[in-house]
Parts: sequence; C-alpha cells; structure tokens
Amino acid sequence: MQVKTRTGHRWMTAAVLAAAGAALTAATWSHGDHGLALAIGVFYAVVAVISFVWAGGSGDIAAILRAGGDERQRAIDVEATAIAGLVVIVAIVIGGIVELVRTGSLGQYGIMGAVAGTAYAVSLAVLRHRR
Amino acid sequence: MRNRVRELRMARGLAQGALGEHLGVSRQTINSMENGRYLPSLPLAFALARFFDQSIEDLFDPDQEDVPCK
Repeated sequence: MQVKTRTGHRWMTAAVLAAAGAALTAATWSHGDHGLALAIGVFYAVVAVISFVWAGGSGDIAAILRAGGDERQRAIDVEATAIAGLVVIVAIVIGGIVELVRTGSLGQYGIMGAVAGTAYAVSLAVLRHRR
Repeated sequence: MRNRVRELRMARGLAQGALGEHLGVSRQTINSMENGRYLPSLPLAFALARFFDQSIEDLFDPDQEDVPCK
C-alpha cells in the first residue's frame, strides 16, 4: 500500500490556457474582428502567466494547477470539477428550454446536452467496472 | 472522527510540513487531518500509523455515528 502523490508539471494549466487562447484568438481574427482577437489573446496570455507563476507555489491551488497533488488535493479537484460540470449541465438545460420556447428548436444546447449526457453515461459504465 | 496526529507529531517535535514530507503529502493535508476536516485514505492512515509506530485504532477514534455497523 502506497500513498500516491503526483508532482505534476508547472506549465500544465498554463499550456491549456495558452492553447485555448490561441485557438480563440485565431478564430476571432479569421472572423475579421482583430481588436477583439487581440484582447482575447492578451487576456489568455495574462491568465496563463498568472497560472504558471501560481503553479510554482506550495499551496493546494498550486498543486491543482500543476495537475498534481496528494489524495486530498486531487479529491478537491475532482469535486470542484463535478460541481462545475453540474452547473454547466443545469445552464445547458435552462438555455435549451429558453431556446425551445423562443425558436422551437434546442439549437446548440441540444448538441451540448447530448455530449454531456453521453459522457456521463460512458463514465458511469467505465467507473462502475473499475470500482 | 477524532485523531491523535497533532499530539503525536508535536511529541516528536515535527512541523506539519516535515510530517507531510515524510508521508508524501502536503502540509495543508496534515493540517486538515489534524483539524478533523479530512479523513485520510487507508494507505495514508496506515502510513501514519507506521510512522508513529501505533495501530490505526490508537491513532483514530471514530465517533459513534462514524461507525455504520453495531
């Protein structure tokens, strides 16, 4: 029996933020809105730098930003992720209902709901077998 | 669930960070355990018991409502 603690990498969250920022900047730029594209790029770059600096610390958030940490820190990360997922799903359901009333169609909310529902069902099936 | 982690750690003159380093967990996790906010996993509970040379029963004292069976 072993206590499992992951070191993680300091650039983990910063890299995700940088990649997401670059993709959003490119998409906005290609749409022709160069001012907004630059603003998005700068915003994500600043957040990525803050994340990189913070991840160098020794606290709980730093460990989570490194995608590492001990069992308690990983449990906090998993619970926070679950809560965030729940909030997003509730927002999708509410958005879908509003969209349905306004336009008679679920629109993008339908796709997002289907992805969320499928991901949950698959995760449930896999985790049930693993535990 | 009450535990004797703080008492045993202080008896050895160890800081929370030093105990955490020995066990491979963070200082914050030691602090949360000592304050009863975090229940460690079985591997960590065994690691603590071995470190302090105690049995798990000597280290952790469950409240009545923590024990599901009678």
